[in-house]
Amino acid sequence: MSNDLLTIVKKELKRVFDDKRLVFTAIILPALAIAVIYSIMGMMIDNMVDTMQQHVPIVYVENAPEEFLRLAKTPAYLTSMELNDANGDLESIKSQIYSGEVDLLIVFEDDTEVMISNYQDYDRLPNITTFYNSSEDNSSTARFRLFPNLLEQYEKMIIGYRLGNAQYASVFAVDRIEETHDIVDEQKAAGRSFSTLFPVLITIFLFSGGMGIGMDTIAGEKERGTMATLLITPVKRETIAFGKIIGLGIISFISAISSFIGIVASLPFSKALFATGSGDVSLGALGFGVSEFALLLALMVTMVGVFVGFISLLSVFAKNVKEAGTYVTPLFMIIMVLGFMNMFNMNSVELSTYAIPIYGSVAALRAMFMFEASTVGILITCLVNIVLTGVLVVLIKNMFNNEKIMFSA
Amino acid sequence: MVDVKGLKKVYKLSKKQMAKDNRKTNKLVAANDIDFEAKDGEIFGLLGPNGAGKTTILRCISTLIKPTEGSVKVAQYDVVNDSFEVRKRIAFLTNELKLDENFTPKYTMEYFGKLYGMSKEDINKRREELFAYFGVDSYQDMKIAELSQGMKQKLSIVVSLVHNPEVIIFDEPTNGLDVITAKAVTDYLEKLRQLGKTIIISTHIMSVAERLCDRIAIILNGEICINGTLKEIKESTNTGNLEDAFFKLYQDKVGAII
Repeated sequence: MSNDLLTIVKKELKRVFDDKRLVFTAIILPALAIAVIYSIMGMMIDNMVDTMQQHVPIVYVENAPEEFLRLAKTPAYLTSMELNDANGDLESIKSQIYSGEVDLLIVFEDDTEVMISNYQDYDRLPNITTFYNSSEDNSSTARFRLFPNLLEQYEKMIIGYRLGNAQYASVFAVDRIEETHDIVDEQKAAGRSFSTLFPVLITIFLFSGGMGIGMDTIAGEKERGTMATLLITPVKRETIAFGKIIGLGIISFISAISSFIGIVASLPFSKALFATGSGDVSLGALGFGVSEFALLLALMVTMVGVFVGFISLLSVFAKNVKEAGTYVTPLFMIIMVLGFMNMFNMNSVELSTYAIPIYGSVAALRAMFMFEASTVGILITCLVNIVLTGVLVVLIKNMFNNEKIMFSA
Repeated sequence: MVDVKGLKKVYKLSKKQMAKDNRKTNKLVAANDIDFEAKDGEIFGLLGPNGAGKTTILRCISTLIKPTEGSVKVAQYDVVNDSFEVRKRIAFLTNELKLDENFTPKYTMEYFGKLYGMSKEDINKRREELFAYFGVDSYQDMKIAELSQGMKQKLSIVVSLVHNPEVIIFDEPTNGLDVITAKAVTDYLEKLRQLGKTIIISTHIMSVAERLCDRIAIILNGEICINGTLKEIKESTNTGNLEDAFFKLYQDKVGAII
């Protein structure tokens, strides 16, 4: 039996590696496409952030009190915005905000200065109205970052005058002493960045790597009549099923590794895509040891078994590659949903979660990158995956014996 | 030797198939009460029109599908209980069994030889012998996709014979072949008969059956109408040749030919 198994696995691999087109689409293209796409995306995000940081907000102000203008002209604010007097031309400025040429309009009430200095005589506060454009990033930044900061300083100034000493306006000093206050575990910080996207990406790569070739290797063989030729040989059905799954699994795994190399190659340019925490986004910062890598490998290999098992099962059931696509695509979507469910989940992974088929595997990957994985949990996931693969092999074998499925003529 | 006793095969039809063929029941009897014996050193022919049930019978013998009733024994092994042993001993060739076109004839021979548990030396010996006979040797390192239709069919025959099987089952062996290739195939079948192999072929071509088969079973509507040597069939139907005998039986069983 082991000889037959080896023969079938070798043939499956030869089928792919002899075909330059398949080698390119299954192995070279994922690395290349991901490296290029992620690098471009990362560079564009960096570029966007840079452009926003370089932009000097254009602010118009109407009826500005003298003290406010003085504050705005201090070195701290002088370079961080371009302040202009609105001169009553409010409608024209509003249309410029609408078109994105101006970022912010601040309108003080007519007698604001009188109201501030005689504040005890008034039963209401002087009003400030702001106009901005929420569809423009620069305008939103001016309204919600620059303006509150400026106003806070202005209010402190006024309170200082009222109390007779500018110092009295502040009550606390926060983190004034020069030292590092961020007591961060660099490894965990890097892991946190990776744990958001990597489990989903690994899951998707493992599945998609086997999808195209999987449908071709079984449904395609059925369609072309080469499967029946194999079924007429004295090879046990389970050996054929298992051989196909192993061959396909190896291709899937190589394809996923290729995708992974693509990510690593893009990291110098795509950090912005992965950075969710303050950690250094590089595999070096992750600092996986031998045991972590061994567990990760075991997890990925057993996940591949389940994925190609499902792909094969659906492909055996289908009459041709087109029909197989109809069955496998919804499954791919389910796998993606299970992946994304983990993406936005920052809770620790419960031991029982590890035992849930597929979802548990993605959760286990997440736990690994968060450095919160329990070895027992990972082993449970691997065991569940192995058992599930075994069940799928038996189901495929039964389908091979089902003449209605195999010879529907 | 192949021994078929009381073979019946009923297909269950899906609702879609029932609607397509305008059938009232979901059961289709493709073969009924089939009895025959094909002996060693004999070519046994199943003759009948398309849809008569020939392929169904051959598929049952080849273990691809299971009989609903009756028994089929190949070299004493039951096709249901000992399908593994049966598969070791047969070659089954039909149009629906194809070879992967991405491989070369040489690799394909090695692959199937290994699956039949043959040693590398045996495979090589067999390959050289069969490739030379069918003229595949000069194409053995090309991809099957690049071969001509005739060469592909010859290769299919060669591959199916790699393990030197005791029983050879050919569904329409000369269908779609040019006259030269068809002659090579029928000549080889005669050679296999001389070697004492059991050969069962299905055909709807009278001349093939007449020239090649030692005994013929005429199948109409899933049932054997007559089973015997050419001489016995002609005598029994009181006709001069197989074609006349066939049409006489057809009229009796199915009705007038339009």
